[in-house]
Amino acid sequence: MNAAFWILSAMSLIGALLAISLRNLVHCVLSLILFFLGIAGHYFLLRADFLGAVQILIYIGAVAVLILFAIMLTRNVTGTEGPRELFGLGWWTGLGTALIVAAVVWVTVDSAPQAATRSPGQAVSSVEQIGKSLLNQWVVPLEVLGVLLTAALIGAVVIALEEVVRRR
Amino acid sequence: MSITLGQYLILSGILFAVGLCGALTRRNAIIVLMGIEIMFNAGILNLVVFWHYQHFATLTPQMFAIFAIAVAAAESAIGLALVIAIYRHYKSVDVDEMRALKG
Repeated sequence: MNAAFWILSAMSLIGALLAISLRNLVHCVLSLILFFLGIAGHYFLLRADFLGAVQILIYIGAVAVLILFAIMLTRNVTGTEGPRELFGLGWWTGLGTALIVAAVVWVTVDSAPQAATRSPGQAVSSVEQIGKSLLNQWVVPLEVLGVLLTAALIGAVVIALEEVVRRR
Repeated sequence: MSITLGQYLILSGILFAVGLCGALTRRNAIIVLMGIEIMFNAGILNLVVFWHYQHFATLTPQMFAIFAIAVAAAESAIGLALVIAIYRHYKSVDVDEMRALKG
């Protein structure tokens, strides 16, 4: 359990760091997939099996492929940022902001009482229980979510096709 | 010694800071979106961690995580469609060049 936590943490941290620092966009997406895999492993480790599977299906299967398609459609694979622009004033400002956020989180967490073990009770994370709960207690949010996803689908198609329609 | 709640929270805080740094510093719109995805994942990891350590007997935090993942997926689809539309217009995905509304 301990070793798995540290390995998965290193995996997701290295993946996230590479995803935001590499120059080649395709390499960035591959590092992002490493990060998503680390997070999915954390979900399995925390006994949220369904969420781990969802993470792999949605993030690695859909979002990463979507980002790859966006990169292919925008042609500029290596990016336009030179090293001097990458480490300019804006870079240091962003790094400072991120460090301040991390420090605030760290201090807040350190000063709070911490639970070392999981809370008592039987796990309720089986797919069957999640499915029943989704169709009983959570049915209204589920339907709203369906409407949202449909609207997002139609909206994405409309936004991405706008120019083509106008040209014809 | 087992992993404590605080270690998970610090991990997700660091991941959030990394995503924030990427979203603030990079000028490529696609990498800005990737930074936002990293922040989303750090937040959702927080929900699952609190479910594991504090509310193991209920399903509510996991439902929150599932809905958050679905909304994040919709967000990234719209965001990438916007990036493609902006690329068609400006022939660039550099966020510094998108200043048509700047006063």
